Amino acid sequence: MKQITIISGKGGTGKTTIASNFIKLARDHIAVDSDVDAANLHILLDPKIKETKDFIGGAVAEVSDECTNCGECENLCRFEAISNSSSDIKIDPIRCEGCGVCEYVCPVDAIKLESNNQGYYYTSESSFCTLVHAKLNPGAENSGLLVTRVRNVAEDIANNQNKKAIIIDGAPGIGCPVISSLNGVDYAMIVTEPTLSGIGDFIKVFEVTKFFNIKTFACVNKYDINLNNTEKIYDFCLKNDIELIGKIPYDDKVSICLSNRKFIIDEPSSEAGKEIKKIWEKVKEYLYPN
Amino acid sequence: MILSVASGKGGTGKTTVAVNLALSVGFCQFMDYDVEAPNAAFFLKPDIKHIQKVEMKHPYFLKEVCNACGKCAEFCNFNAVAVAGDEVIFFPELCHGCGGCLLVCPEGAVREKDVEIGKIKKGFSKPGINFYMGDLKPGYMRTISVQAALDKFIEKDILIIIDCPPGTSCPMVFSVKDSDYCILVTEPTPYGLNDLLISIEVLKDMGIPYGVIINRDGIGNDEVENYCRKNNIKILLKIPNDMEVAKYYSRGESMLDYDISWKGKFENILKEIKKDVRK
Amino acid sequence: MKVGISSTGTSLESNVDMRFGRCPYFIIYDTESNDFEHIENQSRQAMGGAGIQAAQMIIDKKVGVVITGNVGPNAHRVLGSANIKIYSGITGTVKDAIEKLKKDEFKETAGPDVPSHFGTG
Ligand code: SF4
Ligand code: SF4
Repeated sequence: MKQITIISGKGGTGKTTIASNFIKLARDHIAVDSDVDAANLHILLDPKIKETKDFIGGAVAEVSDECTNCGECENLCRFEAISNSSSDIKIDPIRCEGCGVCEYVCPVDAIKLESNNQGYYYTSESSFCTLVHAKLNPGAENSGLLVTRVRNVAEDIANNQNKKAIIIDGAPGIGCPVISSLNGVDYAMIVTEPTLSGIGDFIKVFEVTKFFNIKTFACVNKYDINLNNTEKIYDFCLKNDIELIGKIPYDDKVSICLSNRKFIIDEPSSEAGKEIKKIWEKVKEYLYPN
Repeated sequence: MILSVASGKGGTGKTTVAVNLALSVGFCQFMDYDVEAPNAAFFLKPDIKHIQKVEMKHPYFLKEVCNACGKCAEFCNFNAVAVAGDEVIFFPELCHGCGGCLLVCPEGAVREKDVEIGKIKKGFSKPGINFYMGDLKPGYMRTISVQAALDKFIEKDILIIIDCPPGTSCPMVFSVKDSDYCILVTEPTPYGLNDLLISIEVLKDMGIPYGVIINRDGIGNDEVENYCRKNNIKILLKIPNDMEVAKYYSRGESMLDYDISWKGKFENILKEIKKDVRK
Repeated sequence: MKVGISSTGTSLESNVDMRFGRCPYFIIYDTESNDFEHIENQSRQAMGGAGIQAAQMIIDKKVGVVITGNVGPNAHRVLGSANIKIYSGITGTVKDAIEKLKKDEFKETAGPDVPSHFGTG
């Protein structure tokens, strides 16, 4: 079984559109949406939820009435999460990292680390394949952990049903969630745009795939908005042994199709759609080696 | 006033809006809180005058003193310490620097040292923008720590524009927490609407007033606009989809470079916002 | 001697799981008594350092040999420090793996199979 993660560094480069179309073209596979912060894969795949599970995330400290206001915890908390201004110990859940130092030092045991529900994860059926996806509660922490959870579920299903491939819509950025969406996959495909920030983020996210030793493909979306920058991306790929797997032209039809909840590959007149099909043919060789 | 610019996902034009707003106003403090991918500098081109390290504490373990009791490993909630055979093994990339291992070690075998996790860069951009950015060191997942270091530079009695990280998880919440108003930038597509709804939920929860800017207006459909109208959400501005704007952007140039009439439009947004700011 | 095997399920007919840190179960097999037990892998739920936590658990269970698919460098280091033998890259059922181990058909793995997982995710 092979796994590919489609990532972008910067968001909005067309990653999810490409992932959705790949998922429609593939066979014998499972789809994963690891952008748990702002999941979008379900919009085109339109799956029916079969199973919902609670996501209990990392712990946050909570104070009880037993607190005598001694201030020990405030002194030792390294994250400025505890304030004692109003003669009452308060814990700021945004700053709390759940390290447990306050719980340990509290002389009257008034502080406990509590794990709360921080979201849900789902196993769903679409007309193309099983989709594993999730929803993190707004503002919740630990999206990386939720990504791991979602991928565990997908890998378990793939193992049990002898699926050939897992296609993962990756998380944006270079932080925790991206790392979790790349950990242990066979291939990564970076979708980028020929803009300065696109190039900057491309290089950063490539650092991550390189670190993991993952065979990396690059795909330049809207390549024709700046041919100079596209050229720069090509050079970078050549120097760094990244396989340039395709370039997609700017095409108004992409958003029109999306708005009608249609797949761009089904739009015969779309240049972008044709290119995505071509790219898939190449990716397929890797995902289904025999 | 602290004004943050956010979006449910990246690539919607959040940085474009933040930067052009700053350039239109002319005098303000600009803070790039997107420390994992700080991009505003491409457009504001500040001359960076000061660079300051952001550090955290990491433990180290004195082999001669440690008796491998395992208390530190048991305490660490992040699996950053393991005790195997007769030695302590430390995994710096997992450590949050809480100091717990030092606290619990009965032998006094734990010491601490400072390590760099990122940088704060300060500079000046024309016409009168005090520019600050946080830059997280790749491999150190201490996004919030770098943002917390930026917090310390927020001044009073001046317009602060914060370019937030994308998404709605912890780093975004941390960036908007002190805002008087938040601008949500989105695109008129089903993805854009989906992401907008999640962002709105976060801001409502936090009690922060907000308005919407629709970028690349003309692509997609009018789901976003209809939603805003129905729910009485202020649409501050619509930026039309324009290949030319995209080309300017790709070269690191601003919308004002392309068409100076945008200056007035962004100034107007600010007037609109001032009516609604958090008291 | 006790053997720890990363497993997809709770029985000897289950397959050896590819993932050391994030497998659903470990089978702990005693080659002297031929008894075995299964443990649910708690570290699967870890915020980060799943491999490290799993390795610590294996050490605490006084296991001498680990059989698995892939071991990352962190877990490898921890297991190595405790002088636990690692056989990785193993596929097939848990039962077959134990038979092969008894017949001495495995080669010990010198280094980690997958690059380090940095980050807390
Ligand atoms: S400082 Fe805290 S996070 Fe770091 S190793 Fe010690 S206990 Fe773990
Ligand atoms: S708590 Fe102290 S003595 Fe015990 S293993 Fe850790 S460092 Fe060594």
